[in-house]
Amino acid sequence: MLTFAVLVPLFAALLLAFVPVGHAAARAIATGAAALALLALVVTWIGGGEGFRAVAEVPWIPELGIAWRVGVDGMSLALALMSALLFAVTTAWPMEDLPDARAYYAWMAFLAGVSIGLFVTLDLIVFYVFFDLGLVGMYFLIGRWGHGEAQHAALKFFVYTLAGSLLILIGIIALALNMPELTFDMRAMIGSPPLAAAGMVPGLVFLAFVVGFGIKTPVFPVHTWLPPAHVNAPGPASALLAGVLLKMGAYGLIRIPLQMMPETFARWALPLAILGVVSILWGSVVAFAQDNLKRRIAYTSVNHMGYTVLGIAVAGSALGSETARELALTGAVVEMIAHGLITGALFLIAGAVWQRTQDYHLPNFGGLAGPAPRLAGVATLAAFASLGLPGLAGFVAELHIFVGAFGVYPWLAAIGLLGIVITAALFLGMLRQMFFGVTPPERAGFADLTGLELGLLAVLLALVVLIGLWPAWLLGLVDAGGILPLAGAEG
Amino acid sequence: MIWALAYLPVLAGLAIWASGGSRIRLGASGAVTAMVVLGLAVGLGGATGRHGWSEAFTLHAALPPLAQAVAVTVPAILLAVTLFAAAHEAARGLPRLIGLMLIFTGGMELVVIAADLVTLLIGWEIVGACSWALIGHKWRERAAGPSAAFAFVLTRAGDLGLFLALMATVAATGRAGYDALGALDGWSLTLAAFGLLVAAVSKAGQVPFAPWLFRAMDGPTSVSALLHSATMVAAGAYILARLHPQLSAAPGFGIAAMGIGLATAILGGVVALRQTHAKKLLAGSTSAQTGLMIAAVGAGYPAVAVLHLIVHAATKSALFLAAGIAHRATGSFDLRMKGIGRSLPATAAMAAVAALSLAAVPPFAGGWSKEAIVRALEHASVFWAAAGIAAGGLGAAYATRFAVSLFGKCFARETGEARGELAGLAVLVAGTLGLSALWLPWMHDRAAEWLGGDLPAGTRAGFIVALAATAFGVLAGLRAARAGWPAPQRDWLGLSALYEHGAIRPFRRCAEAAARFDDGVVDMIPRGTARIAASLARFASQVDDHAIDGLAPGGASRRMQGAIGGIAAGMAALSGLGAGLGERLSDLIPSGTGRVTGMAGADLRRLQTGLAHHYYTILVAGLALALTLVIIGG
Repeated sequence: MLTFAVLVPLFAALLLAFVPVGHAAARAIATGAAALALLALVVTWIGGGEGFRAVAEVPWIPELGIAWRVGVDGMSLALALMSALLFAVTTAWPMEDLPDARAYYAWMAFLAGVSIGLFVTLDLIVFYVFFDLGLVGMYFLIGRWGHGEAQHAALKFFVYTLAGSLLILIGIIALALNMPELTFDMRAMIGSPPLAAAGMVPGLVFLAFVVGFGIKTPVFPVHTWLPPAHVNAPGPASALLAGVLLKMGAYGLIRIPLQMMPETFARWALPLAILGVVSILWGSVVAFAQDNLKRRIAYTSVNHMGYTVLGIAVAGSALGSETARELALTGAVVEMIAHGLITGALFLIAGAVWQRTQDYHLPNFGGLAGPAPRLAGVATLAAFASLGLPGLAGFVAELHIFVGAFGVYPWLAAIGLLGIVITAALFLGMLRQMFFGVTPPERAGFADLTGLELGLLAVLLALVVLIGLWPAWLLGLVDAGGILPLAGAEG
Repeated sequence: MIWALAYLPVLAGLAIWASGGSRIRLGASGAVTAMVVLGLAVGLGGATGRHGWSEAFTLHAALPPLAQAVAVTVPAILLAVTLFAAAHEAARGLPRLIGLMLIFTGGMELVVIAADLVTLLIGWEIVGACSWALIGHKWRERAAGPSAAFAFVLTRAGDLGLFLALMATVAATGRAGYDALGALDGWSLTLAAFGLLVAAVSKAGQVPFAPWLFRAMDGPTSVSALLHSATMVAAGAYILARLHPQLSAAPGFGIAAMGIGLATAILGGVVALRQTHAKKLLAGSTSAQTGLMIAAVGAGYPAVAVLHLIVHAATKSALFLAAGIAHRATGSFDLRMKGIGRSLPATAAMAAVAALSLAAVPPFAGGWSKEAIVRALEHASVFWAAAGIAAGGLGAAYATRFAVSLFGKCFARETGEARGELAGLAVLVAGTLGLSALWLPWMHDRAAEWLGGDLPAGTRAGFIVALAATAFGVLAGLRAARAGWPAPQRDWLGLSALYEHGAIRPFRRCAEAAARFDDGVVDMIPRGTARIAASLARFASQVDDHAIDGLAPGGASRRMQGAIGGIAAGMAALSGLGAGLGERLSDLIPSGTGRVTGMAGADLRRLQTGLAHHYYTILVAGLALALTLVIIGG
């Protein structure tokens, strides 16, 4: 079933690459493929189970212990579900005047398959291959269909994150070589973590993973590829970049260093937590100063992923009570889901603004609540969700992260709290500049969201509200207690 | 069922906002919702509820008498304000206004019924967000947006205290219920108590958070009437009263609460007395009166604080409605241009009752509750009682000045009062008059007993001094109303300017500097790395061309070139990530960076064609590196 979810979008990409179809048909094929993948994942979800479920394995290179292994636990299933939903919504998002639409939808479908594959695979080499193929897909989406300095931004994104992924590859190989028997099976490594001893090698391997995944997440100070990539990307690609691709970094951080090197992680948890708090504050402060709509949202991603990194670091700290660490990890995973839905919606909104005005400069806007009440409504809801208003998904995540973090690193949690005030200021400032006051004359004919755009955003935001009011179902699915390493027992 | 107190007004508010309709329909549907909530609040006394929100946190609700008293007050005030708003406010955006006011009330009811800190936090922040939308209601006007944002950000800064209290409680006990708060001791109790105090005083518009209440005046009058009486501001005083049994155990809590409350009561009184803007006068007064409530909690009499809260809610919202009617008649909130009592006789009469109550003149309700607070403060010390009496005198002065300036002198104008406006005002004034029964011993003993608190016994001397201060204040207010003072130069004794110049602008400058640093310096990491990688790759390709090519001419060389480039790039990426920042700082950005980045990218992209054999070459390169690492490390 999981293999099906990966192959359907890839097959659709292949189809679109070779069969000449029109814009509408291409969109329908890509959207349908993403929807089918989503359906397959929902079926897996309904199937239920504990730990890794829906496991399948086909040998590929047995001498090296490499195989096509798929299977999900609660965390990866939740992330894959969110990704598939976001792909369905972003491919269905109406794009007018799209040059070479068939290729665009082919790359979207390709990226969908690769991204879902990354979350459902249980083989580290396949993970790595999907990690890099994701870069390829996004490189072309930004470079070919972006605007402004799209080529340069795409290249920077690609090279920067590729440099990170090389480090990850080195780390993966080091892990595999230290297994009693050469294998790239994630379950085996989680079951008996290699490189458990203290020393320089585990530290270096850990560093390689943190830098590699940190670039992708992104964490201060290796985040500077993100703003240009977002600013120049088309709206749906931006939504995917923030919603799905950034999660690959945070997911990797949990899956590999946290689960496979728990003891090394515990030794380095404090610096990582500090890095998370610095990202929280730096992302929000720099976002506050941005006049460009997309750059502002992009930097809030640094802020939000900072919350996630703080949660992950706390979870792996082996300090405090197990309850606190579990809370923090729950929060980190929920933050990934919530950020995907919320920031996905925000970037689609930014895309809608760009399609109407070809402008992101906030001071050029104003008073849009008059001509575009629907846009104002969804943007307000998404902004409040992003600044962590209770009753919406972001709050659930931040509450769990902060309460958990306080049980382990009280001072860091207290400092990190400042981030929620700054994000409030920057999002309210954004809403005011966009929607309050007098409409400038050049924005007079601004068209409101169409029914389709509103409907697609409503799907994302309805989930945000549902998670906010009743998060129990998501938390039950994620089951952070099952991910948490047992290193605490050994100290 | 108890949750209906919170979600019913929210759902009704959304429905009213979505469906719209005429003024009468909006007013009627709002009023009916308010009455249903009122009925629920009356009927649900002692009820409890729970909601399995997440694995770690179960939301709890409860309605003990102290909470029930406030839970009844909130929809009662809402009823009056909705009637007024439907008749008074601009037709454009009226469904949104009424709808949001109902949602706002729902959030407040959630604060009231909360029995654990997570539920409290949820309601607390929903109230804050609604206040943003309500203050910014007239979004076309220049002032609305910045004022709404200022109010939300400043109160949210205070909310961090609530977050801290929650975090400290869960860290210490593993639970978030109010009972867990009572089980705290040591530093976690201190942190929780003072965190809650900070959150409460920020919502309650106390020093130093008071200026947001002034900025909130950019919202419609109905919003002010609701926000200043039974919601938002009241939430701060309420939560301290509700949690008094748990918080009072923290050392220094009582003194801190009395200090902040009485400082605000006196400073707010001065601010109100000097104001020439009708609504801002009332805003200063709200801070001052809420300060008295918080001081009463600090002195150990939460029941007295809640009684004053209820009395103040009816009184203050009535005065806001009266100010709104006067504004419609004259087109301005400037107290110096008014004096329209004869044109608006019914409004003037009702405003007089409310003003006398606010001035704490017997036998009106405000007189009793303020005297009770002075008696409570006497129990703490004479010093606190003296401060309370001084604040009472100031209250008498500004209340008198407000009523006399607005409705005293007689400029005849062609104007009238809408029936809806008067209906709202009448409900509130009737409430004030009804609450005046608190002067009767039977009534206030029963009320205190029901609320579960003692009434403080005071000295006769204290009572006489307080009455004298009130009388003196009324006389001073009369004089002030005739004196025609100029408008004060600075809002809130300069506190607003302090925020602007001491916090907001410096922060903006810091943020801009950080953004420049981010673009200029942090971004050197990738640019520097790319440059090193490129030069190494170039070097490698030269070696490849000159040395290796000579040894093995033929088809294999292309692949070898790729492999060596890959190794070089991989190693360079490793070393460059560390060295990049320093390297760039010493060797400023050369103009060719972009071009070089491009070349490096082109090299790497060639590796990234998606063809399997290229992956294997990278894999081999990585293996070699990993082996080196293992050898070095082992």
